[in-house]
Amino acid sequence: MRKLTDVGVAIVAGCCALISVGLLVGLVAVIAARGAPALSWSFFTGQIRLVGAAGGIFWNLVGTLILLVTACAACTPLAVGIALLERVWLTGERRRSWLRTALYAMNGLPSVLFGLFGFILFVQWLGWGKSWLAGGLVLALSMLPTVTLALIERLRAIPARYVEAAAAAGLNRAQIVWAVLLPQARGGLITGTLLGLARAAGETAPIMFTATIFAGATFPTAIRDSPVLSLPYHIFILAQDSFDPAVGTRLWGAALVLLGLVFSLSLLALPGRLKQHEEAHG
Amino acid sequence: MAECCPNPEPSTRAPLIEAIGLSVHAAGRPILRDVSLAVHRSQVFGLIGPSGAGKTTLLRSLNRLNDLIPGLRVSGEVTLHGASIYASGTDPNALRARVGMLFQQPVVFPTSIEENVLFGAKRLRHLPRSERPALTEHALREAALWDEVKDRLRTPASALSVGQQQRLCLARVLAVRPEVILMDEPTSALDPRSTQAIEELILRLKAVHTIVIVTHNVAQARRITDWIACVCVRDGAGEVVESACCDAVLGDPQCREVLDYLAQVPA
Repeated sequence: MRKLTDVGVAIVAGCCALISVGLLVGLVAVIAARGAPALSWSFFTGQIRLVGAAGGIFWNLVGTLILLVTACAACTPLAVGIALLERVWLTGERRRSWLRTALYAMNGLPSVLFGLFGFILFVQWLGWGKSWLAGGLVLALSMLPTVTLALIERLRAIPARYVEAAAAAGLNRAQIVWAVLLPQARGGLITGTLLGLARAAGETAPIMFTATIFAGATFPTAIRDSPVLSLPYHIFILAQDSFDPAVGTRLWGAALVLLGLVFSLSLLALPGRLKQHEEAHG
Repeated sequence: MAECCPNPEPSTRAPLIEAIGLSVHAAGRPILRDVSLAVHRSQVFGLIGPSGAGKTTLLRSLNRLNDLIPGLRVSGEVTLHGASIYASGTDPNALRARVGMLFQQPVVFPTSIEENVLFGAKRLRHLPRSERPALTEHALREAALWDEVKDRLRTPASALSVGQQQRLCLARVLAVRPEVILMDEPTSALDPRSTQAIEELILRLKAVHTIVIVTHNVAQARRITDWIACVCVRDGAGEVVESACCDAVLGDPQCREVLDYLAQVPA
C-alpha cells in the first residue's frame, strides 16, 4: 500500500511538472513560430507606421530601455538602503519581521495598483502628465520588494565571522557596511536587480497610465509631458486590433522581442543565483 | 594565591589591563562570576581551563566584542591604563583598535593578501597610498610571512594554507599597531609547524605588545606564557580559581579544580 502511494505521488508530481514545462515550451514555441516571420533588420530599426500594420518597433524598444534604466537607477539605492536598515540598523527580530512582512505584502500587490498610485502622485498631483520618469519610478517601486528581499537574503548569508573580525579590528558600523557587507552582497544586488528588471520589463499596467503612449513619441527631452513608446503597451494595443493579418504578425514579432528581452535578463542573473545556491548548500 | 616568582613588571607599576569583579550574564544565567585579574605590560598572559568555563567570553570582555552578542550583560569593571573601558564615554571601536584580536579559526577576507593586511589600518587612520607597500611589508615581516608571500601580494588570500592564513590575520592585527593582542586558541586549528611559527612570533612580539592568550594546550602555556589564570566552573559559572606565574600554576597548583584539569589534559 505504501509503495502504491509512493508511486501514485510520483506520477502526480511528474504530471504537474510536465504540464508546467509543457505550457512554457508551448507558449514559447507559439510566440516564436508566429513572431519569427516579422523579425528583420528594419523591424528593429524602423518607426511604427499605419497604426502598427507596417514599420518597426525601434522607439518602443528605446522607450522600454529608458524605463528600465530609470527603474534600475531609482530602485537600487533604495533597495540597498532598506536591506541595510533591516540587517544592520534595526534591532530586534520583531521590527525586522515587520519590515520583511511589509516587503512581501508589497511584492503581492497587483501591478495595476502601482500604476494607479503613480497616476495620482506623478501624473496628477505633481502635474508631470505622462512622463518617462513617472513610469520609471513606478516600475522601480514595483520591483523594489523583489530586489530588496534578494539583497536581504544575500546579506543574511554572509558569515558572522567576517563581521566579527571587522569589528574586532576596530571598524565602526558604517565602515563594516562598506568594507564587508556591500562587497560581499554585490552579487545578490546584481541578481536581484536583474530579476526585478525582468519582471518590470513585461509590465503593462504600471506604465499605461503614467508613461507610455501608442505612437508619436521619440526620445524624451524633458520630464513634463514626455511620454515614451514601449513594448508591452504596444503589444496590448495591437492585441485589441489584431484582425488585420499585417498587424498580427507584427504583434507576435513584438511579443517575441519582449520575451527575448525578459529571457536574457533572467539568463544574465543565472550565474549569480547558481553561485549563491552553491555557497548556501555546498 | 601563590606569589612564587616576581612579576615581570615591578609590582608598583599599575597593570595595563585590569579586570575587577567582572561578571557576565546571558539571559539572566551567569557565565562568568566575579573575575579579577591584572595583565602587565609586555607580558604573555595565559588563560587556561576546561572547555565551556568561559575563557573565550572573558577574553572577549577585554575588547568589548561581547557587545555584538545580544542578550549578554557585562557587569563589573575592566580598565585599560586605569581608564574604564565600559564607561559610557568609551568608544568601543577605538578600544578595539588598541586591543587587537586573533581568532581560533583564521578569518581572511575574500580579497588579496595585501588588502587583507591593510584591511583595518587603511580605514582606521589616514594612510597615503605611497606608504601602503611599506606597511604591508613591515606587518608581514613581523608576522613571519613576508618571505612566503612577497611575490604574490595581489593574489587571493584564500589560497594560503590555514597556518599562513593565521599569520596573515596576525599581520592584519599588527598593521593597526595595537598595544594589546588577544588570542583565542590561535593554534588549535593549525599543524605543528605553523603552531611553532606562531609560538615563536608570540615570544618575539611580547617585547612591544602585551598578549592575552586562551589556550587548551598546557605544553604551549608552559612554553610561552609568563602568567596564567585558570578559569574553572564553580556553581555553574566560570571563575578564576588560580592566578599566578606560569611555573607556579602548572608546577604546583593550589586548587583542586586546577589539579583535576591538569590531570585530564596531556601535558
